[in-house]
Amino acid sequence: MQERNELTLLPALSELTDEHIVNTARAVNEPGWLLLKRQQAWKHFADSVPPFWRRTDLTKFKSEQVAAPVGVFGTQLELDETLAAQGVIFMPLGAVLRDQEPLVRQYFGTAVDPLAHKFTALHAALWQDGVFLYVPKHVALEKPIRATFTFPEGATSIFPHNIVIVEEGASVTFIEEYTSDDMAGQAFASPATEIFIGDNASVRYITAQNWGKGVYTVGSQIAKVGNNSNLEWIALNLGGKLQHLEAETYLEGNGSRVDWQASTFAEDGQTLLTAPWLRHIGANTEGHMDFKTVVNGGGYTTFDGMIKIEKGSRETISRLEEHAIHLSEKARSDSIPGLRIDTNDVQRAGHASTSGQVDEEMLFYMRSRGIQRDDAMKLIVMGFFEPVLDRLSADMRERMTGIIEGKI
Amino acid sequence: MSNDLVIKDLHVRIEEKEILKGVNLTVKPGMIHAIMGPNGSGKSTLAYTLAGHPAYEVTGGEAWYKGQNILELGADERSKLGLFLAFQYPVAIPGVTVANFLRSAINAHRAEEGTDPKQTAIPMAQFRKELRDRMSTLEVDDSFARRYLNEGFSGGEKKRIEILQMAMLKPSMAIMDETDSGLDIDALRIVSHGVNTLAQEQPDMGVLVITHYQRLLNYIKPHFVSVMMEGRIVREGGPELALELEEKGYDWIREEVFSNAGA
Repeated sequence: MQERNELTLLPALSELTDEHIVNTARAVNEPGWLLLKRQQAWKHFADSVPPFWRRTDLTKFKSEQVAAPVGVFGTQLELDETLAAQGVIFMPLGAVLRDQEPLVRQYFGTAVDPLAHKFTALHAALWQDGVFLYVPKHVALEKPIRATFTFPEGATSIFPHNIVIVEEGASVTFIEEYTSDDMAGQAFASPATEIFIGDNASVRYITAQNWGKGVYTVGSQIAKVGNNSNLEWIALNLGGKLQHLEAETYLEGNGSRVDWQASTFAEDGQTLLTAPWLRHIGANTEGHMDFKTVVNGGGYTTFDGMIKIEKGSRETISRLEEHAIHLSEKARSDSIPGLRIDTNDVQRAGHASTSGQVDEEMLFYMRSRGIQRDDAMKLIVMGFFEPVLDRLSADMRERMTGIIEGKI
Repeated sequence: MSNDLVIKDLHVRIEEKEILKGVNLTVKPGMIHAIMGPNGSGKSTLAYTLAGHPAYEVTGGEAWYKGQNILELGADERSKLGLFLAFQYPVAIPGVTVANFLRSAINAHRAEEGTDPKQTAIPMAQFRKELRDRMSTLEVDDSFARRYLNEGFSGGEKKRIEILQMAMLKPSMAIMDETDSGLDIDALRIVSHGVNTLAQEQPDMGVLVITHYQRLLNYIKPHFVSVMMEGRIVREGGPELALELEEKGYDWIREEVFSNAGA
């Protein structure tokens, strides 16, 4: 859904002031509490020093050039007429600020902290794009809910903010796709997604980014899971020049569970970092993380993960596996897995990690059946990502497969 | 152009150690040829070398098949020429299903230079039918088509899937490396039945059966038996040689061969 009026841009960050932010919000009659949040965030952005991220090199990133779009121009929703009858709300976030004010106000910024660091603050000050998805109690949606984000024509930045609220006993698949053409110069994406899952609910969250060349993306994704609820989190990180993604699952409810699968592929010229945190908070929570990475050419990836088993949690089961394949001599991948346990009552906590070239024995085996080396490589890589690809719809799978094969 | 597999004075080493020290052997189309020998005699090295494993370094000799010295070909080219190796230790390929793997292999065989691979690919219905038929011959459950190749398979299941691959690819020269190892008697019977069925269907297929024990040769009856020892073929004969080895072990040959050599 796009608004009909013409795209305008805020001044570039080097010129932007609090006044611009106030005027923009007032022009569309944004609620006062939200404007206040924007102003606080802007102040935090202006006052704070850039975060020090050892493996995310932003020295070439020209933040002063970033000019945020005004209005919802980069968000596309696949609308389904039958949703409203079931009480489901699926709209651009900017379009429900008044109609759904109590819900938005209750949840906005409560998972992704606007004041976490300079980039979250910038996002909270400038977001316009994004969706609001609300699934009422006991509504089970068969068909996935899908939103796509890209740079609006004439803009080189986007700040989508997504809020997903899934009430007790409901189930839904939410797909967000970030994509763009290759950019001539620098572009900047600052997405944030907040997911709130009630009790006895089930959510499949599929998030895929395939930004074009030149795109810096610094984003946050946080999901909070209620009692006896299930989250299946499927992530594909494929594009962009640089990714710094902070992702977090809070297993708050007793008996809550996450199955977290990610595939990352960095080729020449790409630096992709994912920092997934898994917090076990409730009793009898169970978390499985399977993170797969392929690096080609001079690509560089970082897995900077953490499992925290909090004080007060009980009978926790936690498993982390991360595996990386290097397709070239120059390829690099760093892995920094962490485990912090603040309780005595852990049922199982395990970690496995590997990285290296494609297994020569595998290649030989496949070649001995007539499959050429290049095709064998493709099969091995696609097989490596299969746990993620297997969970996509046929059309999305085909698209992602095409993108991945193009990188091998 | 001969369809014999002719191995001449083959020398192979791995990690600086010479394993094959001049192997001479001819395997004829339509013949089942067994190579027997004690552990460490170089049997598996011969199998891997013929299939083109990169870790095995050929330091001398030739191996001719269908007019080409196959030692100069990549492993995939040898396969397309009609060579097949049933592995002693099949490799697991995570995330690649048996069906997908086999279809890729068959299509690689059917591909022609300069033609769109889609044109030459096996029609899906035909592939499915053939896979089902072959799996049923080998008493492999249908569900294996959707399982990841060799991942979590038992030893016996892996061997059956090797023979399934052989049946689907229909090689003209099959090398079976210790296919009987780790098989119980039922699995041995099923696997042998699969090989024999294929040999009947394709009367021109040559088979090189590498085995330590005579047991397998009760099921897959060889026309010729060669004995390998310390990197060479030291004795050749008919099926009776296998029985003799079963009865008397390898030591008597060792004594004959190496005491003569020393004399």
